[in-house]
Amino acid sequence: MCGIAGVMFKHGATGLSTGQALIDMLDGCQHRGPDSTGFALYEDAEPGKLRLRFLVEEENGASDGVGHNSGVEGAIADIRTTLEDHGAEIVEDEHVGNSYRVVVRFSGDVQKLTYDMEHAATLISIGESLDIRKDVGGAHDVDDVFHVREVEGTHGLGHVRLATESEVKPEAAHPFWATGFTDIAIVHNGQITNYWKMRRRLERRGFEFHTDNDSELIAVYLADKLANEVPLEDALKTSIDDLDGTFSFLVSTKDEIGYAKDHLAAKPMIMYETDDLIAIASEEVSLNRLFPGRALDTREPPPGSYGTWSRLT
Amino acid sequence: MVQIDLGQVSVRDANEQIRKWGAEGEDIEVLNPDARHHIGVGLIHPVRVHIQGSAGYFCAGLADQARFEIDNNVGWGLGDNMYAGMVTVRGNAGAIAGVAIRGAEIVVHGNVGSRAGQVMKAGTLCCVGNANFMAGYMMYGGRIIILGESGERVGEDMAAGDIFVGGAVRSLGSDAQLADIEESEVDDIRAFLDRHEIAYKGSFQKIENAGKRLRYATSEQQVRSIPFFTFSGTSDYWNPKVQEDVYVKSQIGRYRVRGYGGARTLPHLSDLAFKRDLSAAGTAGDPVAAVEMYTEIGGLNGARPLKLSMPVMIAPMSYGALSRSTKQAVGMASSMAGIAENTGEGGMSDAQRGAAEQLVFQCLGGRLGWNIHDMNRADGLEIYISQGAKPGFGGQLMAKKVTKELATIRGIPEGIDLRSPSRHPDILGADDLVIKVEEFREATGYRIPVSVKLGAGRVRDDIKIAFKDGFDFVELDGMQGSTGAGGAEVMEHVGVPTLAAITQAMEALEEVEGLDKIQLVLMGGIRDGIDAAKGLCLGADAVAMGTAVIIAGGCIACMQCHVGQCVTGIATQDPKHERRYNPVAEARNIHRYLEGVRWQIAALTQAMGYGSTTELGRDDLVALTRDAAEMTGLPYAPEYREREQALRGRVG
Repeated sequence: MCGIAGVMFKHGATGLSTGQALIDMLDGCQHRGPDSTGFALYEDAEPGKLRLRFLVEEENGASDGVGHNSGVEGAIADIRTTLEDHGAEIVEDEHVGNSYRVVVRFSGDVQKLTYDMEHAATLISIGESLDIRKDVGGAHDVDDVFHVREVEGTHGLGHVRLATESEVKPEAAHPFWATGFTDIAIVHNGQITNYWKMRRRLERRGFEFHTDNDSELIAVYLADKLANEVPLEDALKTSIDDLDGTFSFLVSTKDEIGYAKDHLAAKPMIMYETDDLIAIASEEVSLNRLFPGRALDTREPPPGSYGTWSRLT
Repeated sequence: MVQIDLGQVSVRDANEQIRKWGAEGEDIEVLNPDARHHIGVGLIHPVRVHIQGSAGYFCAGLADQARFEIDNNVGWGLGDNMYAGMVTVRGNAGAIAGVAIRGAEIVVHGNVGSRAGQVMKAGTLCCVGNANFMAGYMMYGGRIIILGESGERVGEDMAAGDIFVGGAVRSLGSDAQLADIEESEVDDIRAFLDRHEIAYKGSFQKIENAGKRLRYATSEQQVRSIPFFTFSGTSDYWNPKVQEDVYVKSQIGRYRVRGYGGARTLPHLSDLAFKRDLSAAGTAGDPVAAVEMYTEIGGLNGARPLKLSMPVMIAPMSYGALSRSTKQAVGMASSMAGIAENTGEGGMSDAQRGAAEQLVFQCLGGRLGWNIHDMNRADGLEIYISQGAKPGFGGQLMAKKVTKELATIRGIPEGIDLRSPSRHPDILGADDLVIKVEEFREATGYRIPVSVKLGAGRVRDDIKIAFKDGFDFVELDGMQGSTGAGGAEVMEHVGVPTLAAITQAMEALEEVEGLDKIQLVLMGGIRDGIDAAKGLCLGADAVAMGTAVIIAGGCIACMQCHVGQCVTGIATQDPKHERRYNPVAEARNIHRYLEGVRWQIAALTQAMGYGSTTELGRDDLVALTRDAAEMTGLPYAPEYREREQALRGRVG
């Protein structure tokens, strides 16, 4: 019940920013999901620094009782305290839209930090390169608040969603990050039917989940493999057999972007590749948004297939 | 030759222009298509449309006679449901290329995605490159030519037709087999390829249906009818129906298939009562003249609404399950009563169209009888997702009822045990559904309301999807609904009761602030005007009645609808049996019954002190049982039972 998009500029963005490319692609398939839109944007990392983003809206995040203080200001204060308690030095911060963005200097245990942060606030993104921006509304609505188009970036993912839960909530919007791990984001179209079985398997091994969304499961599943030094391509390969259901998903890490598609191919995916760029979307109409008026030599990945691309610079 | 630039105009405007120029016999060039969806859908004139680039989903869908040429790729559902005409694609096609075609010639010079030619009935789909898995899935006829590799499970569950593969056959689908190829068949293919200027000199392998799954191994015997009262008696354990089930299964070795709905006792509308004292109902003058009952359904988004003289419609029932004469009688009765009839599965006959002044045309996964011309002459379009009596399952029509005439209208082989697909080829989620709805709107110029029929299952989610995907109205069908043939266990044990369904639906719509933006028609065991009025109180904009209408028209409720030898001539395709049915007389009976329903609704509404049925609300009801209270959230008030029984005695 959604549309997905991903782009990677192999030699760095040229002419088109990562943000603008994703806005165009998502706007092209907004019919697939009018309720919420999200972006996972990757920029060059600054060594030793981590980017974090929290949801701090009145009805969400820390203010609903998990933290000590009430209101957005209170939530932000709670986040700052928790970060400082873990020895994270705040070098930059900003309250924008529904979110609070922080850049910290941190060299400790990231998994412990994120789990503790999650107990204090709704963390939606963490990474040296990654920044997830998501909210209710269309691609342009989210851009208006979060200035997505200004992100030059190197690669990124995007997602539009049709929601069936009672409220259309930003935390249920994609992309999802892998709780406990940095720089891993996922966008997914479909449904994982062995979700609880897989989740329990991972929980028994100490992983935590912060939503009931099956897309978070894919992110944690892949992050676990990557943390054990399994190459992304191999992790995607096993995901096709380990995950049950219908899925077409995209994943990105600091330097890679990848896809996997289930054996029944019930969810569409199409890609266009040149020497400079790989662009993947649910529908060709999104790809054509990047190249109006052109007949593109696109490729539809076969059922049960997977693939990855790396930055060349 | 005219040019339309999609860089300048919307697809909707472009399609209007394409149809207009098409009617004038003018060929059309489409510039800057940029993979947009729905280009050229519903074009029914023999003109040439040249698309200079890529097209999106449903390119050339629902077209007839037209010739399309696409310079690059196309998305899902190329040439959907096309009749005559031709499509040439120079690039690749996405999934379900040639889905449900009934005669066109479609050539894709690149590769085709999965499930090419799904549920196709006639015509030729040719793929010059490789096909993906399950090409020819559930095809009922026609020809698929794949010059490259076949992909896996080619011919999966095909019922008829031929698949010719030039490259490697990766694997065969279930009930598909390799067959000897005749010289004349090869000559035909060569002629086809020459005509399309495709150079291919290699040989072919032929794949056809293996014939192992077209019919049930043992057909179900006709059994002595058990009176409905005994059948649905109070004992759930060893009542005569349970014994009969065991016996029949001991003979056929599989699940039973029968007509009608579940007989299990479930909370229903009769477990609700009106809060006010209605002992004066019907005593004050003419309630029908006093109460406003006129209802429009389907016009909220600008389409031409159904105009109902009362908030009642006929529930979808197929020509197939029912005889032609019965559909005719129901149609006539609907016209006399000023309400709308529904085709159900299996196409629209001229007799039906002629009889019913307002007719909703139902689209199911098998696309059996679905076509642009009948869409254009319908008063409403309906996408069937599922049915209350058997949610998640497709229809069943036993071989006895699949006559030559019926097979022709549906585009399927004669004499098979037809198990209709349980899902649509092109609707695998809310995201595809929205594109499908748009296809229907584009093809019919946004004139006709589009509805969705939902068998109650995940009601909350489904209703929200229906709302967000922009349907004009929903037909929500509860577990007490009936069917012409379904698995007995499914009917008894699968589904969500009508009371729970409407309650959850209204709550879901309230959550998404959709109460005034989409209309809801409730069905599933509505027996009379009292049930109807309660359904309206619970929030339905109208109700639909099926079984009650059939009974009014002579059905004896023997539950043998599936057998095909209906003694009343209703559930049969055998002329010998159908002869017993007098459509004109039965139309009058059905009409008299509908007028009774009208009087009941009016009398109740009037006695509640209202001038219009739109004033009926939840506050007018209480629940007589704890279960019904739980399901509906209405106050539990068993003390109203006597009054409710007295009411039935008076206006029932």
